[in-house]
Amino acid sequence: MRALIIFCHPKEDSFNAAVLDTVTSHLTSAGVEYRLRDLYRSNFMPVLTAHELDCYLDESRNTQPVAQDVEDVQWADALIFIYPTWWYGLPAMLKGWLDRVLVPGVAFVMPKGEGDNIRPGLTHITRLGVFTTCGASWWLTTLIGSPGRRMLTRGLRAICAKRCRTVFAAHYLMDSSTTASRSRYLKQVAGRMQRLTA
Amino acid sequence: MTPAPTVANDPVRALVLAAHPVPDSFNAALHSQVVRTLRGRGWEVDDCDLYAERFDPVMSEADRRGYHDVPDNIAPVKAYVDRLQAADALVLVFPVWNFGYPAILKGFLDRVFLPGVSFRLDEGKVVPNLTRIRRLAAVTTYGGTRLRAALCGDPPRRCVTRAMWHVCRPRTTKYLALYDMNRARDDTRHRFLTHVGDQLRTF
Repeated sequence: MRALIIFCHPKEDSFNAAVLDTVTSHLTSAGVEYRLRDLYRSNFMPVLTAHELDCYLDESRNTQPVAQDVEDVQWADALIFIYPTWWYGLPAMLKGWLDRVLVPGVAFVMPKGEGDNIRPGLTHITRLGVFTTCGASWWLTTLIGSPGRRMLTRGLRAICAKRCRTVFAAHYLMDSSTTASRSRYLKQVAGRMQRLTA
Repeated sequence: MTPAPTVANDPVRALVLAAHPVPDSFNAALHSQVVRTLRGRGWEVDDCDLYAERFDPVMSEADRRGYHDVPDNIAPVKAYVDRLQAADALVLVFPVWNFGYPAILKGFLDRVFLPGVSFRLDEGKVVPNLTRIRRLAAVTTYGGTRLRAALCGDPPRRCVTRAMWHVCRPRTTKYLALYDMNRARDDTRHRFLTHVGDQLRTF
C-alpha cells in the first residue's frame, strides 16, 4: 500500500494537525509508505486558470502545471483527505486541488466517440480515507445533504477502483468540542485507519 | 382626487457571481444572458466576475484565526461583504467541476459568507442573516449526466438549494442546470440559454 495524504488547514496548530499525526503514526507503524501534500504550507494555488482550461482536454499538456501532484496520485493506491468542512464542503484550497489535479487522462477517460460516456481514470486507487471536522451538527449536516462528504465518498470514489475500500469520520459541532470529544474522535480516526490498512 | 402614490418601487438589486475563467466559454454566454435579462427587467445588477476581479479564494491563517471575531472578521473582504449585503437577489453562474463549485466560488463562501454576515451564532445555533435576499438562483453546467450526479447525491444542487438557501431563506429559489455538457449539441445549448432567459424574466 502507498498512501497519498492531502492535508488542508491554514493553522499549523489546528486540531486537524492532530488528526494528521494520528494518521501518519498509524501508517508508519503499519509499515505503509506515504507522501504528504500539505496544501497550505506549500502555498498551493487552487484557482484553475484560463490557460489550464484551454488545454484541459489535451492530455499531453494538461498535467504540466501540476506535474508533481499528478505523479503523486499515480504513485499512490490510497488517497487520504484531512480537512475542515466549511460551508458543508471542502475548503477552496482543497477544492482547487481537485479542480486542477483531477484532469482528463488522470482522473477521467474522456468520451472518444458519440454515445461514449466519461469513464473512471483512478482505477488504481483501491483505498480512500476521509477525515474532517464540522462546525455544524450531524443533524444539520445530514439535512443539508453532506455535500462535502458526498463529493469525496461518492463523486471521487466513483472514479476510483470498483469496491474501493472507503472510510469516513467527522467530528461534528467542533466549536463546542471538548478535550474528551476530541480524543474520542482521534481514537475513531485510528480505528478507521486500522480498517483502511487492514 | 388622484390616489396617493403607493410606496415607491426601488429597483431590485441583484448580485451576480460568475466563476469561469474563459471569456468565450458557454458559461460566459450564460453569464451575459443572466446579466442582460436582469438589466432588461430594470434591475440594478452588480456583475461580479470572480476571475476577472482576481478574487483570492484562500482563507489565510490570519483570516481563520479572526473568523469568529464579529465585526472585525470582515476587514479583509469588506468590499465584497458590502456588495453581498446590498443585494436583494443573488445569482450564481458557474460550471460544476468534480461535483462542486469551482474553488474560486467556494472560496467566496469561505471568506465572505462570514459569521455576522451570512449567519449569526445564537447559543451555538445558526441563524440566517442574509434574509434581505428574496430571490436565489444558480445557473450551471455539468460534464456528467443527471443520473451520474444523482448517484453521488448531486452535491452542488444541495449546496445551493439547501446550504445557501438556509442562510438566505429566499421567497424563490431556482436551480437551472444543463447536464452532460461534453456531449451537448449546439441546439441543446441554445435551448438552455433561452430557458435561462425565460426563467429569469419571471424570477
